[in-house]
Amino acid sequence: LSSWLPQMVPFRGSHWQSSLLGLRASLLMRAQPKKKKKVDVKREQAQKDRMKKKIKKLEKAAPEMIPIEDFIAPLKYSDNSRVRSLPPLSFEETERRVLLMKKWCLFKQKQDKAEKQAIQTLVAAQQEALKELRLESEELYQAAIRRDEGLFPYEREGPSYSPPLPGYDPPEGKCVDITKVYTQ
Amino acid sequence: ALVSCHRHYRSRPTHGIGRFKYLLPKEAPKKKKDKVQMKEIDVGTEHEYGDLNIQMTSYDMCLVEHFAQYVHRLCNQLSVRVKESYAMPTKTNEVLFLEERGSKMQLDAVLTTHQRVVQISGLSSTFAPILLEVIQSNQPEGVHLLVKEHTEADFKSRLKSRPELEELLAQMS
Repeated sequence: LSSWLPQMVPFRGSHWQSSLLGLRASLLMRAQPKKKKKVDVKREQAQKDRMKKKIKKLEKAAPEMIPIEDFIAPLKYSDNSRVRSLPPLSFEETERRVLLMKKWCLFKQKQDKAEKQAIQTLVAAQQEALKELRLESEELYQAAIRRDEGLFPYEREGPSYSPPLPGYDPPEGKCVDITKVYTQ
Repeated sequence: ALVSCHRHYRSRPTHGIGRFKYLLPKEAPKKKKDKVQMKEIDVGTEHEYGDLNIQMTSYDMCLVEHFAQYVHRLCNQLSVRVKESYAMPTKTNEVLFLEERGSKMQLDAVLTTHQRVVQISGLSSTFAPILLEVIQSNQPEGVHLLVKEHTEADFKSRLKSRPELEELLAQMS
């Protein structure tokens, strides 16, 4: 067939030959017209069915959650051989600690109460402002009551221990993500 | 053993004394395999926000866990409904830096990023800024706060990836 090609080139204008590339295919089709088509279709159907079955089987299994490494204690800490032996504390030391703890508890309680009080005053002030606004104009009140679409997503970095150093030149480097990828 | 048996005979009038389980409401049979299904995402009305995710990220695990606990308790006290409170999978990063005199990258540290999520729903539009203010003022150092709406993609990121299923689905279509 390949020896035919240079001869067939000038015949490109003939009616049964649309392109050089289609030469072989058109000849084969003319030789064995029907059998190959059926077998191909059947094979394709069988393949598709097999794939569908596989997909169904995989989909039946429920998706699993990725296990969280934080909650899995590494094995080296379950070893009970290492025991800490602390010296016994003196009476004054224990008293000092207990009193310190009580002072800390009181301080935290006051802090918490102050926070709750602040929240209550905030809410009360807000309600009063809304009441006054309602008396002023109903339309503005309704607009104020609505939810803010632009509020979320809301992002904020935590405060840092020290402000950024002026003129700091960080060394060049890169971060490589080595998180373990779990697959089901 | 027989003498200390407290069962009463069937013909006696005391038969069945002490039965109480028939008085309790019927419990649904507990399935051993609880299928991990996504809870319905609330969209929210005009005056209320739907499902919101308060995501706290940090390199320090204890700090982020304590902050998550604090936020959870705060929501409980302020009667904000907490739908779910979970942890996202930990991410590990290897930090390499270039040595001053040399072309080799040297390992500096291995950092683990921890993330905790508190999911709330039904937050009223007037109370939202107050809650945000309180959470912000108590934010510890190094903890990154992100409040966003809950989506299906957020839920899917918690599940394991199934490459075989995805391959087959790609082949099909």
